[in-house]
Amino acid sequence: MAIKPKVKEKPAAKKRGRKPAFKEKENYKLFGLSLDEYKKINELLGHEPDDFELGIFSAMWSEHCSYKSSKVYLKTLPVKGDKIVIGPGENAGAVDFGGGDALIFKMESHNHPSFIEPFQGAATGVGGIMRDIFTMGARPIANLNSLRFGSCFNPKTPYYVSEVVKGIGFYGNCMGVPTVGGEVVFDECYNDNILVNAFTIGIVKKDGIFLSSKCEVGNIVVYVGSATGMDGIHGATMASEEFDSKKNKKRSTVQVGDPFTEKLLLEACLEAMDKKLIVSIQDMGAAGITSSSFEMADKSGHGMIINLDAFPLRTPNMTPVEIMLSESQERMLLATRKEDFDALNRVFDKWGLNCVKVGEVIDEKTIKFYYNSKPYKSLDVGAVVNGPAYNRPKRKPKYLQKILPVKINNYKVPKNLNEVAKRLLTHPNIASKRPIFTQYDYSIGTNTVIPPGFSAAVLRVQGGIKTSKDSKDDNNKDKGFLLNVSGNSRYAYLNPYMGGALAVAECARNIAACGGTPVAITDCLNFASPEDPEVMWQFSEVVKGIKDAAIKLNTPVISGNVSFYNETAKKEGGKTIISKIYPTPVIGMVGFIEDVNKAVTPYFKDEGDEIFLLGKLKGDLGGSLYMDLVHKDFRQKPAGIDLDYEISLQNCIRSLINSGMVKSAADISEGGIFVALAESSITNPDKILGFTVDLNIKELRNDEILFSEFEQAFIITSNSLVKQKLLKAAANFNVSLLKIGVVGKDVMKINNTIELKSDTIKYGYERGVEKIISAAYM
Amino acid sequence: MNNKNIKAGITVFPGSNCDFDVYHVLTDVFGINTSFIWHKDKINDLSGYNLIIIPGGFSYGDYLRAGALAARSLIMETLKEYAGRGGIILGICNGFQILLEAGLLSGVMLANRSLKFECKNVYLKTLKTDTPFTCAIKKDAVLKMPIAHHDGNYFATSEIINDLNKNNKIIFKYCEFNGSITGDSNPNGSLYNIAGISNEKFNVMGLMPHPERSSEKLLGSEDGGYIFKSIIKYIREK
Repeated sequence: MAIKPKVKEKPAAKKRGRKPAFKEKENYKLFGLSLDEYKKINELLGHEPDDFELGIFSAMWSEHCSYKSSKVYLKTLPVKGDKIVIGPGENAGAVDFGGGDALIFKMESHNHPSFIEPFQGAATGVGGIMRDIFTMGARPIANLNSLRFGSCFNPKTPYYVSEVVKGIGFYGNCMGVPTVGGEVVFDECYNDNILVNAFTIGIVKKDGIFLSSKCEVGNIVVYVGSATGMDGIHGATMASEEFDSKKNKKRSTVQVGDPFTEKLLLEACLEAMDKKLIVSIQDMGAAGITSSSFEMADKSGHGMIINLDAFPLRTPNMTPVEIMLSESQERMLLATRKEDFDALNRVFDKWGLNCVKVGEVIDEKTIKFYYNSKPYKSLDVGAVVNGPAYNRPKRKPKYLQKILPVKINNYKVPKNLNEVAKRLLTHPNIASKRPIFTQYDYSIGTNTVIPPGFSAAVLRVQGGIKTSKDSKDDNNKDKGFLLNVSGNSRYAYLNPYMGGALAVAECARNIAACGGTPVAITDCLNFASPEDPEVMWQFSEVVKGIKDAAIKLNTPVISGNVSFYNETAKKEGGKTIISKIYPTPVIGMVGFIEDVNKAVTPYFKDEGDEIFLLGKLKGDLGGSLYMDLVHKDFRQKPAGIDLDYEISLQNCIRSLINSGMVKSAADISEGGIFVALAESSITNPDKILGFTVDLNIKELRNDEILFSEFEQAFIITSNSLVKQKLLKAAANFNVSLLKIGVVGKDVMKINNTIELKSDTIKYGYERGVEKIISAAYM
Repeated sequence: MNNKNIKAGITVFPGSNCDFDVYHVLTDVFGINTSFIWHKDKINDLSGYNLIIIPGGFSYGDYLRAGALAARSLIMETLKEYAGRGGIILGICNGFQILLEAGLLSGVMLANRSLKFECKNVYLKTLKTDTPFTCAIKKDAVLKMPIAHHDGNYFATSEIINDLNKNNKIIFKYCEFNGSITGDSNPNGSLYNIAGISNEKFNVMGLMPHPERSSEKLLGSEDGGYIFKSIIKYIREK
């Protein structure tokens, strides 16, 4: 059962000029509107809204659809660049891949539904983002995701992990779109609000991109895909509210996914587009028909007649407002020329899908609804679409006063660093995510050159799906692209500005470590309630950090999504407390590589190869996993990031890799240089290796050297014969390159403090996450 | 490679999703003249084709049982006739499941032992090399190919297994990288590590791993390519 507004009968007609009485206060609250918003709607309509009007306004004015709290900040992000074909504003952004092709990508959150029903929530999150991509005419060619779960000690975590992963696989695998990468992080702050962010990229001919803004007066408005049911009603308003302990009431607001139907919808849409039978198209995502019809009308500057009797329904006798707010999946709204409708119908009939005339584009900026064959309502497009924009109050959080640079002398170096090293490698935030990504089909498409589990996913585009004749030319034959999603909320909590900048830099590092050049980004900004001034301050700082890094690294933000209200009120010891997530900016980055054959993986290749440190170590343990695990105190200021140096460093490693001298390259992220070295030894799919490293830095303790995170440095290996050439090349970029050791057989040795057997380490590394997943079945 | 005179057809059901991948490998890697066959296309006779591939995917969403609905579609009657006349049919992954459901091969597929979708590289031991699918492979050769399925746990009655053994219809078994057939190397729990089987006349084979995803060095293995090379060799020498 959907949550039905309490007041069912129409409010008595109010006479003009009379002061609204607000008798139905509970009613607008149920729709998630504030009193001021309710007043504004009264003013715009000239009367008190009924359920239908309230339903439409509340959906379109919800945080999820209107970005009312974030708009003012998002406007500041860089959106232009020489490779940008389409920036924000459409269903997704597009970059020029060369040879007449464009890549279209976007990342979107599906946090609230996934917390209520993790399998369907995650599945429909993946389905929704793929629709955003093929709505624009692109064939989706890869998915990634960024997942945040509660502490691994939380008894609910295994259930969430296994269900979310199953849901993602269920949808992506059936669609035949490979899931090639992602990140999975466990932290207490997500105990009551898990995060599921899904990313999709597709390929399209540059001159064959479809937009939602092209409707022409006289076009027929057509509904295609699954029938409309009761699922997902009020989904957009739900995503704009915090949870409370009665959250189970919201179960009916989660959508149910059918990937098979979406696969048919994908093929049918692409076929109809190829035959030029579609003028304009928009998927039905959050707020279903409401948002697709109003947005299409608004962007093209027209209006529509919409006949509510025509919609194919899954549940009989749905009311007009239920039809308007249903978030049933696998549906699209499109505009076609009158003379093309029959041909369009034949295409959808071939794929066994509904294709129904539901209206017409008109030369008035109004949507006129018909119901029971009679005029029902008329709503002004601008009034509905131009929701409020808030510059909400913000205040620097108090807790930040206590976040100070780490005073390392207050903490002793643990006697047994071997034990510390083992604990880090088996920690689920570092341990192998293989038990997760093997549940996703990552090799379908025959494009996956570097599979999940390494720095960035590296793909090529095989001949069968290349869209442009030009791109099949030899010049573009070897071109590849790289994908990465990254974000570190712990650092964003300790220093929001830096958390934003670091997420961008970290993506770029992962792409550079494979030899690629970053091109553009999409972002998912996951936060608690924007009505909390401290959260709003964190948000503004994170956006500033993203902006500065994106400008420096020349990666415009071409699409994205904001998810607020990731907080839950719960009772603990008789008191109500609000459980809030850390600010969690997640960046999805796309990069290019001219010759995909030159891309490198992070793992060591051969015994005897020399190991180098490229860049510099700061040795700052502030905010590190080591401080958390060993000293139970991570609340210190993390080291900053020098963006100018970052650029030289990344240019340098890219150049070294593309010159063919580098056999492996890894960046230094969670767990520090120790984890980077250890992973390089045990993730080679064909053999286990080891290393001997001597790395002494004046004034740095062993724990500072080994476990400091997000250093502006890379670990690279090469054949000993090219050492001199390598040193010379690095010097050209003013980046230090230091030989620190050699690749060995099966033991990991550092500075006489660490000595571990590679095979036992590998065993623990591979079990860290597996343990959590298998707990779900016990 | 000029194989333009070889004509291959790829069947497409609603939900097939490895069709483009097979098309890419047949045309771009092996130069074969390839076309798609939509399941509703009225083709009375497939005799113009040297080879039919039923690609992987989720035909009809795998609803009811994987492959069950596709096995009852119109095109299958034509395919059965084609097989009866000795035509070469390779069913990959969902294609294998369809062949089982259609009765062109014997046995059934259960859900993987892990009850999870499994995507990873596996090793295959080649048990029989005088078939259209393996004639360019050395006996006992070990091939590296990816699997990606939820229902690849081959099961059959002991009569069927006896028949498979007696008539050498088991073509591929999952194995370790060195060729030894062990429980650990079995990714889905299939009976006797079975990964690929054929019919009596050896002109129809079902295979769970994906040779089309392992036919190019760039993708980490060229071993799957030997299956296509075998088919080409067989057709040329016939």
